Parts: sequence; structure tokens; C-alpha cells
Amino acid sequence: MAAMAFTGTDLQLRGDLAEAHDKAWSAIAAPGTWLDGARRVAVAAEVRLARECAHCAVIKAALSPNAVRGVHDTLGALSTAEAELVHRVVADPGRLSERWAQSVLAQGLAEGEYVEIVGIVAMVMMMDAFCRALGVPERQLPAPRDGAPTRYTPPGAKKQAAWLPIVEPEDAVEADGPMYPSPKAGYIYRALSSVPQSLRDYWALASCHYLPSEAIYQFDRSVRAISRPQTEVIAARVSGLHQCVY
Amino acid sequence: MLRESMHSNGQEVDLSSVTQGSGAQAEVPQAAALAEFAEAVVLRDAGRAAAVRARLRDALGWEGLVDAAATVAAFHGFVRLADAIGIPYTTAVRGGDLPELREQAGINAFYRVQAGD
Repeated sequence: MAAMAFTGTDLQLRGDLAEAHDKAWSAIAAPGTWLDGARRVAVAAEVRLARECAHCAVIKAALSPNAVRGVHDTLGALSTAEAELVHRVVADPGRLSERWAQSVLAQGLAEGEYVEIVGIVAMVMMMDAFCRALGVPERQLPAPRDGAPTRYTPPGAKKQAAWLPIVEPEDAVEADGPMYPSPKAGYIYRALSSVPQSLRDYWALASCHYLPSEAIYQFDRSVRAISRPQTEVIAARVSGLHQCVY
Repeated sequence: MLRESMHSNGQEVDLSSVTQGSGAQAEVPQAAALAEFAEAVVLRDAGRAAAVRARLRDALGWEGLVDAAATVAAFHGFVRLADAIGIPYTTAVRGGDLPELREQAGINAFYRVQAGD
């Protein structure tokens, strides 16, 4: 695969990876399904602030995340519920609970907004971690683009398997747009499916970092410059440090 | 995933060594360095990351280092997606994540399992 300059650095990367970052930042700046461009970029900015939040550090160190009272250090551009969602997902994702998710929603956040924000948090964390891993500066946040959110709700979305609604592959309709590479797509792939555009944006980026969907269950070969067991050693260590049970 | 990729190469794996600490999987080349790289990035330890990055570049080449960095980054996203949306952990690896493997990997001690959520 042809190498390409990684924007903002003097590094040359495989072209799909460098291009995926450009496209992901552009997608974050654009109006989404429930959030406009300004709010989406504000979420990205809050992600970066959350990594330094003193209250988040106290929660992280506490025996129980529910025993801590206080307020997050925020930029002030998001609602209290949005800021709580961003900060907790950034700083202590392994100790979230369904009760906590419901408490965030009860503060006035719509399920679609919750899912879209989680998608942005995951994308920004991925891209910033990549820069940190290679020792280059994080990308400057993009300028938000004008336009209104589409407010599209997939008719097949239902709350059943997870804390938030998802669209099972058999319930997806043409109006949702392309979502699943296969009817057997794993639940991690379905996580953002109640906001199909967020699912597409996320996986366009994630597949270039980890593996293309068709290669995930092909354990005897690697499409990357490291072997599949080496890839999975990294995956297991990062997941373990985050106390991710998935 | 690690267990399956090792099995397909005719190898065994001690999952606890990877999820809980050393990452010293003797049968996976550079396993300890890759685990240390992952730790340094997660913990945002720039000095340690720089040191292990240099070692990995020597051992794996530039393309290998980039793909190691990309994998570390990918899982910064996956864990947040799974944990914030509340994906049922029993569906991991298409439901092939067996209880005994979760025990071996130390996953049953994690907060979400202990909380029964």
C-alpha cells in the first residue's frame, strides 16, 4: 500500500491510515444525526480536557466510582449530562454501569445524542492515542461546519441486548444506509447502530487501525506488518488496563 | 482473539500474563515490548513510550511500529464503545468467550462483572 504523509507531521504512513484520520476529523466537524458541527467539535475538545480533569482522577482512584461527589473541569460548551458522559467514558470506561447510563439519560440527554457522543469520544481517543503512540502532536481541532443534524432514527432500533438501542442486522432497512459488512457482525460492530452515520464514521476509522472486517475472524493470517498474535497481545493489554470485559 | 490466533499457529497462551501484567508471552516475538508499549500509551508515559518505540522500530521496522501504534489506538476506541453502550460481554468473540477463559484472563475480577451489570 502506498505511503502517504500524515497531516501535520513529517511521517509517512500507509495511505489508508493517514487518509482515515483526515476523513474522521472532517466527519467530526460536519453536522451529525443529533448534534450540529459546533457541538460535535465541542465534544472533541471536552475529550481532551477530560484527560486532565481533577475530578475524573478522584473518581478513577476511588474504590467505587459512585461514592465520589464533585464537578468536572469543563470548557462549559456542553450540558452537565453531556460533560458527565464525555468525562466518564474518557477517564474510567471500565466502571460504567447501566444505572449510570440511565442517570445520564434522565438528565435530559436523548438516546441518539448519547450514542453519537460516545462515537465521537471513541474516535478522538483513537486518533489522539495513535499520535501519542508515535510521539507526534495531536491534530488541531477542526473548525465546525454549518448545517442541521438529520435527526434520523432507524425504525429497527430497539433496546434489548445492550444498555442503549441497537439495530440488529436483520432489522436494518435501506433508509439506514450501509451498516454491516455481514449479517454476523459482532455486537461491538452493532454498538453505534442506532445512529447509522456514527457507526459508518467510526468503523471507517477503526478498521484502518485494527483490521478490516473480513480479516477479523481469520486468525491464521495477518494483513498488517505485525503478526496476528502480536496484534492480539496489544489488544489484550490495552483492554486489560481499561478493565474492559468485552 | 489472542487465544484463537495462537491456536491457529499451533501455540498456547497464558492469557493472564497479557491481560494482567508482564505480557511476557515467550512464543510471540516482541510480546513483552508490545505490552509495555501499550501500557506506556494508555498511561500517557511519554518517556517510556519513546524508549520502547525505539526498540520496536529496530525489531519490527517502521511499518511494524506504525501497525503496533494503530492497534494500541484502535483499542482506546473499542473499549469505550463496548463499555459505554453496555454491550453484553457474553457476546465477545461471537459468544466464544468461555467462562473458563474469562477466569484465566482475570476478567471475572473486573468491576463490571463484579457489579453484575
